[in-house]
Order: sequence, then C-alpha cells, then structure tokens
Amino acid sequence: MSPRARVWLKWALGAAALIALPLVVRDRYFLHLVVTAGIFVLLASSWNLLAGYAGQLNLGHAAFYGIGAYTSAILATKLGITPWLGLLAGGLMAALFGLMLGVPALRLSGPYLAITTIGFSEILRLVAMNWVELTRGSLGLYGIPPFTPIKLGSWLEIEFRSEIGAYYLLLVLVCVSLAFFRRLTVSEFGLSLKSLREDEIGAASIGINISGYKLAVFTISAFFAGLAGAFFAHYQRLVSPDTLSLGETFAILTMTMLGGLGTLVGPVLGAVLLTFLSEGLRFVEDMVKLDVRMIIYGVLLIVTIRFMRGGIVGLWNSLRSAGRTKD
Amino acid sequence: MELLRTENLTRYFGGLCAVNDVDFELASGEIVGLIGPNGAGKTTLINLLSGVYPPSRGTIVFKGKEISRLKAYQVNSLGIARTFQVVRVFKKLTVVDNVMAAVVDRRRMGPWGLVARSILGRGEPAEAQDRDEAERLLEFVGLSAYRNELAENLPYALSKRLEIARALATQPVLLLLDEPSSGLNPSELNDQIEIIRQINRQGVTILIIEHVMKVIMDISQRLIVLHYGQKIAEGSPQEVYRNPQVVEAYLGAETDAEH
Amino acid sequence: MESLFLQQALNGIIVGSVYSLIAIGLTMVFGVMRISNFAHGDFSMLGAYAAVFVLGIYPGWLGWVGSILAAAAVVGVIGLLSERVLFRPLLDRWTDIDIIMVSIGLFLLLENLAQLLFGATPRMIQDPFAGASLNLGLFSTSVLRLFCLAFSCIVIALLQLFLSRTRLGVAIRATSQNRFAALLMGVDTAMVYALTFSVGVALAGVGGVLYGTLFAVFPTMGAMPTLKAFAVTIMGGMGSIRGAIFGGFILGIAETLGGNYISMHYKNAIGFIIIILVLLIRPSGLFGRREGA
Repeated sequence: MSPRARVWLKWALGAAALIALPLVVRDRYFLHLVVTAGIFVLLASSWNLLAGYAGQLNLGHAAFYGIGAYTSAILATKLGITPWLGLLAGGLMAALFGLMLGVPALRLSGPYLAITTIGFSEILRLVAMNWVELTRGSLGLYGIPPFTPIKLGSWLEIEFRSEIGAYYLLLVLVCVSLAFFRRLTVSEFGLSLKSLREDEIGAASIGINISGYKLAVFTISAFFAGLAGAFFAHYQRLVSPDTLSLGETFAILTMTMLGGLGTLVGPVLGAVLLTFLSEGLRFVEDMVKLDVRMIIYGVLLIVTIRFMRGGIVGLWNSLRSAGRTKD
Repeated sequence: MELLRTENLTRYFGGLCAVNDVDFELASGEIVGLIGPNGAGKTTLINLLSGVYPPSRGTIVFKGKEISRLKAYQVNSLGIARTFQVVRVFKKLTVVDNVMAAVVDRRRMGPWGLVARSILGRGEPAEAQDRDEAERLLEFVGLSAYRNELAENLPYALSKRLEIARALATQPVLLLLDEPSSGLNPSELNDQIEIIRQINRQGVTILIIEHVMKVIMDISQRLIVLHYGQKIAEGSPQEVYRNPQVVEAYLGAETDAEH
Repeated sequence: MESLFLQQALNGIIVGSVYSLIAIGLTMVFGVMRISNFAHGDFSMLGAYAAVFVLGIYPGWLGWVGSILAAAAVVGVIGLLSERVLFRPLLDRWTDIDIIMVSIGLFLLLENLAQLLFGATPRMIQDPFAGASLNLGLFSTSVLRLFCLAFSCIVIALLQLFLSRTRLGVAIRATSQNRFAALLMGVDTAMVYALTFSVGVALAGVGGVLYGTLFAVFPTMGAMPTLKAFAVTIMGGMGSIRGAIFGGFILGIAETLGGNYISMHYKNAIGFIIIILVLLIRPSGLFGRREGA
C-alpha cells in the first residue's frame, strides 16, 4: 500500500469510528461524557492557540466560554432567537471581548498579562452574579431551549434534544475547528505567531506587525471558546456564573499542558484524558466527599512541567526519536 | 545619493541622554562603521533607526520620508533591516523557519490577510519560491547544513549568521549590523567580512557597529564616532584614527576601566 | 456622614495594612526570583489554620501572639520545602508560563489538600479580647482590629530593619537589583533564594492569621489574598517593597470606601479595575523601575 493510501485509510477509519461511536455505545451517560470532553477539546485547543503558539498567557479563558454561553442563552430565552443564530452570536460576542482583552495584551506580557486576564474574568463573573435582571444571578439561567431540529425534506428530521444529536453536532464543530486550527498553525500566520512568541523585538525587526497578530489571535481564540460556550448553553440548558470560574480555566490549562502545549494533538488528548479521568474519580469523591479532581490537576500540572516538559506529545516524540537512533 | 539622514537625533532614558543631537547621513551603497567606547550610545542609535523606540527629539529621514515615529515593523517594511548585539533568533524554531518567518510578511497581507489565506489556500504552508529563497539565503551565509536544527542549538557564531540571513530575507535597502563579529575566531572573521562585502556588492547599504578593528578597518569606507551620545568625529578610517578627540575618547575610556 | 467616612477610612487602613503585609512577601519573591507565585495566598491560608490550632490549645492574647509565631515558622518551613522541590529546579531553564503553571499547580494542591485535612466548614480565630471595643469619639473599632493594624505595622517595620541593617537583608536587596552582579560580588544566590522565598511566604502566613482574624478561615480563602496581593503589587510596581506597602493601604481604603459608596457586590472587583487602569497608564507600577533603559 502506498504511504498516501495508508494515510487516507487511517483518516477513514478514524472518521468511521467517530461516526459509529454513538450507534455502538448507546449508553447515554457515556455519550454525555464524550460531549463534555468535546467541549473541553474546543476550549483547550483555542487556549493553546494563544498560549502555546503565540505565547500569550491568558488566565481568563473561561470568561470567553461564559460570554458565549450567556449570550446565546439570553438571546434564546429573552428574545426567542433560534439557538443556531445564537451559536454564531455567542462566538462573535466572545470574539469582540477577545479583541478588547487583546488591547492590554499589546503592552503587557508574562505575569502582568496573566493577572490582567484573571481580573477580566473575575469582573465578568461578578457581573454575571450581580446583574440579576439579565442573568438571574447565582441561580443561573435555566429553561434554555435545545437546538431546533433540522428537517431535511419530509422524511428526515435530525433532533438535538438527545445526547446522540448533540454528539453529532459537536463532532462537526470540533472537526471544523481543529481543521481550521491546523491550517492556521502550519500556515504563514502560524509562523508569525511562533516568531512573536519567541522574541517580540526580533519579530518586529523582520516586519511582523506584533500588535496586529496579537489582536487577531485573541479574537480568534475567544471566538472558538465562545462557540463552545454557546453549544454548552443549549446542550446543558442551564448556565450559571460557575461557567466563568477560575476553576474552569485551570482545568483547561491543565489539559493543555498535560497533552502538550503548542501542539495540535496535545490539547485534544489532554481534554479527553482528563474528562474521563475526573469521571473515574467520581466514586473516590463520593467516598471522601470532596473534590479530588483538583488535587489531581494540581499534581499533574506540577509533574508535567517538572518531569515531562512538552506533555504527552513531547514524551511520545522523544521516545520515538530515541527509538530511531537505536535502530 | 542620500539614503538616510538624521537631524538632532536625541534619546533620553530618564535623566540620562544616551544619544545627543546626532546628525549624520548615509549614502546609497556605502559601508559605514559606527564606533565608540562602551556606553557611547551606538546600540541606542541603531534602536532609534530601526524603530524599537522613538527618539525623544529630532528626525530620521529615509529615502526622503520621515520615519522617526514609525513602529519597528513599519520601518522594516520600508527597507531597513537589522541584527542584534545579543542575538534574538527564534530559539524554538528551526533554522529554516527563522528565515521563512522573515519572508512571510514581505507580501504585506497583514494578520487577517494571512488568516484568510490559510483558510482559502490549499493548505500549503508557504509558496515554493519563498522556500527557495530561504534556502538560498541559508546557503549564502553557510547554514544549509543546519537547516532543520533548532536555532537554540546553533553555536553563537552561527546564530549571528542566522540573524544576518533573517534580516536579508526582508530584502532590505539598508542593513544595520550590531556587532556581528563579537565572539568569532580569526577564520570565522574572514568569512564574516566576505559575507558583509558580498551583501554590500548586491547594492545594500550597511551601517555596522564593531569593536573588532580588523573588520572595521577592512571594510568601512567611512567611520562615525560616538562618545557619550555625541558624534565627535566622522571621516575615512585613517582620518578618524588620527583625530585627537577620538584618541582621547578611547584612551580616556581605557583609563576609566582601570579604576 | 463625616464620621461614617472616617470610620470606613479606618477600616480601610486596617484591612490595607494586612494587604500590605501579604503583598510584601509576593513582591519580594518576584523581585528576587522572578517568580509570580499564584499560590501565595494559600500560604496565608496555611498560616491561618496554624493559628486556629494554636489558639485551640492556648486561648487568650498570649496564644494569639504565639499563633503568629507558629504561623511564621510552619509556613516558612513549608515554603523552604516548596522552593527547593518545585521552583529552584525551574529557575534557569524554564519560561514565565512554566513557572506560573507550577505555582497554579501548587495552589490547586494546597487548597484542596486543606479541604481534605481541615474540612470545608469555616473556622473562626478566637478574639483574645472577647469582643472588647474602643470608642474614640469620631469612630469606634474593636481592640482586636487595632491590634491587627499595630501588628502588621510592627512586622513591616521589622522587615525594613532586616532588609536595610543586616548582611542577609542587604544580600536580598542586592540580588533583587541585579542577580548577576550579586553573584559576582560573592552573594550566595541559592541561599538568598531559599531565604527570600521562605521569608516571603512566612509573611503571607502571618498576614493570613490577621486576614483570618478579620474575616474567617476556610480552605479556599487563599485565592482572595493572592489576587489582592497581585493587585497591590502591580499597583506599586512588581518587586518594589515600598510600592507594596503603599499599594496595600490604597487598595484597602479604596475597597472599603468603594464597597460602601458604590456597590458592595463589586467590592472585590475594585482591585482589578485599579490594576487594569494602572497597567494601561503606567505599566511598571506607581513605584516600579522602568525596564529596558
């Protein structure tokens, strides 16, 4: 078999497996986990675009997620706007906030940017808690409609109330987003991002418009987090200020670091692994009645950076190259 | 023909005047050496010319256009490229990607233009001619063998060469070299001189800061001497080295260093 | 009206002195080691728990003073350990992102381990003065709160003495100014790092006892002092001790007055709004050195 055909076969098998998954495993709880993992894939990958490729440490990513969720939820519950438009609106609103957060990032870096982004997300969380007329405060918005069914002629109707429908919708979103991220990062745009991550003054000296790229990447990253948020709103059908909490951001960054910062596969791996791992820990939590998940996240973060730089992907690459030199 | 001119160029850092009322001209096609004792303001001058920060006072005119308020990337896109005293290569990128990164923005599509291109394009990371050009530049500075190494693994002398290749990839009219020869051994020095000469032969004007006398005397047609931020002398290397003020500045600096 | 204003200002000064104390530790660690420690406030939390236990055994004001010493000792030792195990191996080779990630990891670990060990129920640090209060005409306050104010001022003054009068203190300041030059001058930087980190978090620990006295003690209480300390430090210029002292008082007063006259709900946002403004207008902080010159 030619290498090209082999690649195609790999992709086809992968696609078939993903499409067949909900038809084979019919367990609703399992599908719910897969959907949760998918949302985290979107969040971690979009965070990685900022932190891993452009070197911009954003510790307020959950704010974009929350903005997407609240925007779409409010549009649907207060104005009766269809979730399909809400999905787009959620992404765009988050992108707008991303552009806004990009402005301080033009002048700040490292810890200064980190603390500013935390401030941004904490302020938004306080707004979500306290602007009761709009958000119902800490009660959260409930009764959010699910995505409306799509009718294809008179004989086929796809509905999204169930986990299966949501799964397929999210599959499409995730695949399109990842394809976009891939194109973006291997392209000349990606090369410019990486060079400004490595050295801003050096990048400017070869004609790279640093401010322009920073604003662009903040906007794009926020858009996808907002998209994930809007999807979540119509899937969970409940949005509360917890969506914007620092805990969410910390989960996102642990996933990315564990999988491999600055790689395309890393955040996907990390998101799926940690979603299932924390679910596996549920029974332990029920026993000791507390959040073991966060202890594990803390340990994983520390261990990854101390002993496994580059995360799982980095480990895999170094094992492979070690194997090669032995041959 | 005049390529660049500065008038009353001045830069303060707090109370310290690093560059003080400096006027000079560069003509197309020249190689001009910028010398002076440590702390004379040479690097600050290059930072001003390349737009790292704006002057506190005074103007820079390049090809008849005032550029003193432009940002670094804009200055570069007008045709001024530079290297750095302490190298600023992109450490975690390969050698060839370091040069490719400089080719990218020559098309001036801007970030959003490139985003659109990456979606609409065929997914090719770069056009073949850009790759060829990057390869040609690596060949020129003698780094082809290292093309796939990470830049952080290059020895210091070679990372300085990489910076030259990267600067050339932006197709400059004027190249500012900040101590390109520091830390080179004698044979590397000869290669370096040859490279600078060849760049100049292709029509690129060069302003070079250098402490290695051999390089300065070999290649510069003209020298500009800075001392405590002020221009104290200008002229052919022979003239400058006979100038009592210059001798004073250097000897004075040496006696200072002995304390 | 006027007396309410004065009353609030006094409350602000009391809270602000505690913010200063905690922020000084953060700014020292940043100035000397370039570590932005997002687990800083969790050392305050540990200090506060140390006090709860000591006061459980020895109540009264002697116990309260003893608990502060205990907090400093316990937290200092834990700080020494975490510097050695977590941060020192990172300092030369790793990036800003890595160091911040490790400190976030430490934050998650400490906060949740505390939950495991101490339970989620808030504890109170007993008032050794049994709620005695002092009426000074224009305003009144509890003896305990005045004690807190006095105590943090004393610790800050002692620290200043240590930094300016002792060899070790001078070594710390020298390293903060220029790590490389200090090394050349024969300063044992490894020792200075260990000492700075341990003293820095011990200050957070002592501040934690006072913070816990003013508010309450619970496992997740650390996040607030961390964020406040960052706000203060950025306001004053990261690495500047003088900036941290002033910044703490400014934040304390701004929060109490803002919470009173603008909105109680957004009290905790005031710090962030201030730092975003400061960063936009003067990125190096009010007392910071400008870099790059």
